[in-house]
Formats: sequence, structure tokens, C-alpha cells
Amino acid sequence: MDLDELAFQLNSYVGEEGTSFDAVLNEDGILEVICSNNDEFPIHMTTTHTQIIAVTRLFDISEVAQGSVNELDEMCLRLSPAIPLSSIGRQGSAYILFGAMALNTRFEVVAHELEVQAENTIDVLEAIEELLT
Amino acid sequence: MSVLKNIMSALRGGANEVGESIVDANAVRILEQEIRDAEIAISKAKGSLTKMKATEIQLKRDVSSLNIDISDYEQKTMQALSSGKEVLATEVAQKIAELEVDRDEKHSEQQALSAEIQKINTLIRSREKRIQKNKRELDKVKTIKELQRATESISTNVAATGSSDHRVSQALERVKKKQQNWQDQMEAGEWMDSENAGDSLDAKLAAEGIGEKSGGASAVLERLKAAQGA
Repeated sequence: MDLDELAFQLNSYVGEEGTSFDAVLNEDGILEVICSNNDEFPIHMTTTHTQIIAVTRLFDISEVAQGSVNELDEMCLRLSPAIPLSSIGRQGSAYILFGAMALNTRFEVVAHELEVQAENTIDVLEAIEELLT
Repeated sequence: MSVLKNIMSALRGGANEVGESIVDANAVRILEQEIRDAEIAISKAKGSLTKMKATEIQLKRDVSSLNIDISDYEQKTMQALSSGKEVLATEVAQKIAELEVDRDEKHSEQQALSAEIQKINTLIRSREKRIQKNKRELDKVKTIKELQRATESISTNVAATGSSDHRVSQALERVKKKQQNWQDQMEAGEWMDSENAGDSLDAKLAAEGIGEKSGGASAVLERLKAAQGA
């Protein structure tokens, strides 16, 4: 499924838990999706030869409380396996939550992954909020 | 060196900035070129394999038809011998010998070709495995590249909306407030539903003469009269 088609389908879809989506394909070819259950942290989607990747930027390393980076990294490593369908990672100076799916994943499954990722973002940030500035 | 190991060394070497290409672009081009070359080579090999297979089938057919001819002539030789035609039998025997030479040549040619086909098949399979492996490696590189692109796209937007102290807590607060509002609305909706359900129940009870009853104007008048009399 290409990102154009995904955007088209998402914009007229409501998930099982009542989540709706606003999807816009940016000029750089990245699909930006805002889920109604968390409109503060958009999900950015892109594809490779085999995967659909969904990335939520959580925060920058500069937003971590002074002297807490090691503790935060340790927390992230421990939390990551407990998060359903998404993982925590770092890309450059940004901490990200990301999910990857096979390129031929069914639309409903992709939408469900996005719904869960939007929810996971809130849970993860709540869990580590005190280590941020 | 595997791509993941390559990335690890780049990270340890200090490549950390968003957008910085931590995967050697040249290595990616080489990998892509290798895949393309191998795919072309395989496609050519498959083409010539088809032709070889056709020749092999033809040879097999020739051998079996020669075998039929030989046994046919053998029978005829026996017949000539049994009817005492020694000279004719010798002539046929010579023909058989010629056919046998031809058959043996074709048979060994067919066997050599068959072995060659086997070898090329194995080669194609191992090349295909290698291509798959290279493609998976390439996909790791693409994933890193795409993650970088997605994160850069995000950073631009964050910069546009401003990144300040307590940005995350403020955003979290707003999301939670919206969720609470939504929850409240849901609960309000449920409460309204139950109230409406209650109203209709009261109406049903009243219709059946059960529960509190209003006595109407006459009851009020009676009550006031009683109060006056007291």
C-alpha cells in the first residue's frame, strides 16, 4: 500500500475504539498522521522496500533533566519490551517511539497500530515525565 | 562488514547528529550495484539454462529413438540368421554397430549436459540466496535513512511550534484534559440515557397507578379547608 492510498483511507476511517485520523502527505514524502486520541504527538510514516515505518518523536535529548540521561536510557531499555506494538529508540538527538509493519499489511491493521502507538506515546511520556525538564 | 556493524562503528566514531549520514553512501551504491549485476547475471543464466534444457531433451529423445532402432535391427539380424542369410545379417550387424556408436556419443553428450545444467541450477540458487541477503542488508540501510527523514520532518514541525521547557508536560496535560473532557461527555451521555430511561419508567408506573400520585385540585382544596377548620 502506498502512502497516498493510506492517507486517503485513513481520512475517512474510524477505528474500533472511536479514533479518527487526519493524514497529510508532506512535501518531503513523509505521511503525517494525527490520531484523535492524541493530537499533540503526530505520527510520521514512511516506507522502505519491505516495511512501513511509523515514527513518533517523543522529545529531544536537550529536554532531559540535567544528569538524567543515563537513568532515562536505562528506563527506556526496560520499558521498551513492555510497550505493545511499538519500541523506543533514538534517532540523532531525538527519542522516538516507532513501529514497523510489512509492506503488505492490511489497512485495518495499520490503522490499529497507529491508534495503539498514539496511546503508547501518552503512557511512555507519563512514565518518564519526571526525568524531563 | 554487515550494515548493522557499519552503523555501530559510525555511531561510536561520533556520528550522532540528525540528518548526518551514518551509512556510507558509497557502500550503499556498491551494494545496489551488486544486486543489479547479480540479477542480470541470473536472468542471463536462466535464459541459457532454458536453451541447454531444450538440447538435453532433444538428446534424450534421440538416444531413445536410436535404442528403438537398434533393437529393431537386432530382431531383424536374428531373423536373417535363422533363415541362413549370413551376409545380410553381417550387413545389419554393421548398421547396428554404427547406430550404437551414435547412441553412445549422444548419451554421453546428454549426461555431460545434464551435469552442467545441475551445476548452473545450484549456482543460480546460491546467487539468489545472496541477492536476498544483500537486499535485506540494503533494507537496513534504507530503514535508517527513512527514520532519519521522518525524524527530520518531525524536528522541522516541532521547531515551528516551538520547543521550550516543559513542552512535553504541557502537551501531555493538554492531551489528558481533552481525554478527560471526552470521558466526561461520555459519562454525561450515559447519565442522560439513564435519566431518560428512569422518566419513562416513572410514566409507566403512574399509568398503572403505582407510586406517588397527585390528587389534583380537589385534593388541594380539601387540604386547605382542613387547615382553615383547624
